[in-house]
Amino acid sequence: MIRARELVKQYRDGDGTEVRVLDGLSLDVEDGEFVAVVGPSGSGKSTLLHVLGGLDVHYQGEVEVAGVKLSGLKDKALARFRNQHVGFVFQSFHLIPNLSAVENVLMPSHFGPLTADVRKRAEALLDRVGLLSKKDRTPVRLSGGERQRVAIARALFTGPRVLLCDEPTGNLDAATGAGVISLFQELHREGLTLLAVTHEERMSAVAKRVLRLKEGRLVEESRPALAGGVS
Amino acid sequence: MRLVALSRLVRLSLARERRGAFFSIFGVAMGVGALVFFLGLGLGVGRVIRERIFPTDAKLVDVVPPSVSLGSFLGGGKLDAVMVERLGALPDVEKVYRKMSVRAPAASRYDGDFFGRRLRMGVDVLAVGVEPGLVEGDVEPGSFVDPAPGEPIPGIVSTRLLEIYNSTFAPARKLPRLGPGMIVGFTFPVDFNRSYVAAPVAGPVIQSHVQVVGASERGLLAGVTIPLETAIRLNRELGQDTETYSGVTLVATSPAAVPALVAAVKDMGLEIDDQERRLAENVGAAVALTTSALALLSILICVLAAVNIAHALSASVRARAREIGVMQAVGASRADVRNIVLAEAAVVGVLGGLAGTVAALLLALAVDRLATGYLPQFPFKPESFFSFPWAVVVGGVALGLLAALAGAWFPSHRAAATDPARTLAG
Ligand SMILES: Nc1ncnc2c1ncn2[C@@H]1O[C@H](COP(=O)(O)OP(=O)(O)O)[C@@H](O)[C@H]1O
Ligand SMILES: [Mg+2]
Repeated sequence: MIRARELVKQYRDGDGTEVRVLDGLSLDVEDGEFVAVVGPSGSGKSTLLHVLGGLDVHYQGEVEVAGVKLSGLKDKALARFRNQHVGFVFQSFHLIPNLSAVENVLMPSHFGPLTADVRKRAEALLDRVGLLSKKDRTPVRLSGGERQRVAIARALFTGPRVLLCDEPTGNLDAATGAGVISLFQELHREGLTLLAVTHEERMSAVAKRVLRLKEGRLVEESRPALAGGVS
Repeated sequence: MRLVALSRLVRLSLARERRGAFFSIFGVAMGVGALVFFLGLGLGVGRVIRERIFPTDAKLVDVVPPSVSLGSFLGGGKLDAVMVERLGALPDVEKVYRKMSVRAPAASRYDGDFFGRRLRMGVDVLAVGVEPGLVEGDVEPGSFVDPAPGEPIPGIVSTRLLEIYNSTFAPARKLPRLGPGMIVGFTFPVDFNRSYVAAPVAGPVIQSHVQVVGASERGLLAGVTIPLETAIRLNRELGQDTETYSGVTLVATSPAAVPALVAAVKDMGLEIDDQERRLAENVGAAVALTTSALALLSILICVLAAVNIAHALSASVRARAREIGVMQAVGASRADVRNIVLAEAAVVGVLGGLAGTVAALLLALAVDRLATGYLPQFPFKPESFFSFPWAVVVGGVALGLLAALAGAWFPSHRAAATDPARTLAG
């Protein structure tokens, strides 16, 4: 489902020296897997996610997601890929402030092929995340956890097979975060492929596989915590 | 991206940036409104000049003898029957109409009823004879001919003279205004070879009456126009020259043939009386120049409006960087982002253009109303000072659109260059 080979991504930092954030990174995620990528802040987790999701094109290496080879795609094709094949969930939700929940959810419909009953589909997804009764509220009138649920509904709108989550519980308190995490678990059980980057234990604890981003590469994390077994 | 989606997103961001959008629309409306207003005024005033003050017929060429007669050297210069024949034989001449003035002063002493008022006055008048064909459109057929002895002479007054009389003379003397139809049949005494100001010629005084048979644009402005035969007869009775004409009006086959015709006439040692045409051209040029200056000023306002839009959109694009990033994340291409910003500007431009055009039309209407109600009557005062051809109205809206799109060019490209990886991080 996700396949990356020899990814290299470098930034020039303030004093002009090159910093290799991704340094020959390779990754394989199977269809339906729930994988967590951990690492301290600044280790390149967001960068990796942007490359995999087709938001960043300035890198070297090969990426294939949901059967689409990203390297060398034109902007239009890349936009269609983002619209159809992946859903993004961000740490700070990134909802559009003056749009109601349901309008935020159907945002992807503006950039995709014509589909019938856009609003109905958005409402069904809001129902799915437990927010149908608040569909007409703007983000300011929703709690943090509710906002993230709206964002997840938006990510699911076009029915992608892959969800890319960038610290999805980073801005939530423990209780709300737990609610969001259990929503991810449900989606995983329904067959969605999830790749979540996080530096938090509670998120990685529920993933089936944990990878650590270290010096620009991924290494498999041993899982003593998993011994008890959550699934 | 589909049009429905585009219009939704545009409405969304315009609704949010209501204040900025309002000022942008206002700016465009100012520029477009000023342009449409001034163009309409210039065209309207130009039309009044062309059609009412100097209604020169583009096919007519007025030939006069040269002011200093060089006839003997050039073999021409005298407008006699031979010369008239030669003029008629020029290519592209459709018709030839001879004119001869009565070669003696004339005076009218009026004492009697004048359209319900008593009028007592004496004035000098000029009289010129023209061939009936020249004015046949303005008189009853058969009414403009040399009369039998004892009958009044049929006369035609200039419509422009009537206009001047109606707007200045009549109100000042509390005399009634006269329409062209009302004056037909009015008769006044004219004594030829009598004058209040000029010396008479050696010859008898001929007492007669002139009866108005119509009003014509082709009538002599400062006098009375009579049949050519009458003028010849009067000159004969006064012992004056009856062989040479004081002018000839040529009708060209088309306006395009006029320049060549004018050149040919000049080659014959004759002159063209184009005073009025030149005056009309000069006044028209002055109006056009003023209009152009004002139009330029208006276009400058449009440029400022475009700059204002560029500023407003740049700020809005910067403020919306994250939102643009979100759209990119859910599937917006760079072209989509650019189109959203351009479409926003297009809406602003069209709304501003429409508002400005409508405002200009309303202002013109108000000005015309005020002019009718509050300005005193003056010669050639038109019903409307404006003329708004479709091209001006449509062009106004198009200019608004153009100004807005020009202003949006850089902001839209900057927006399209938004790097989502950067704006969405954190
Ligand atoms: N646009 C950028 N320009 C320069 N350096 C950047 C840029 N984006 C990220 N970086 C650097 O790349 C590194 C990785 O960033 P990021 O992927 O955001 O890390 P994480 O998500 O793990 O916190 C950091 O050192 C950061 O400073
Ligand atoms: Mg990050």
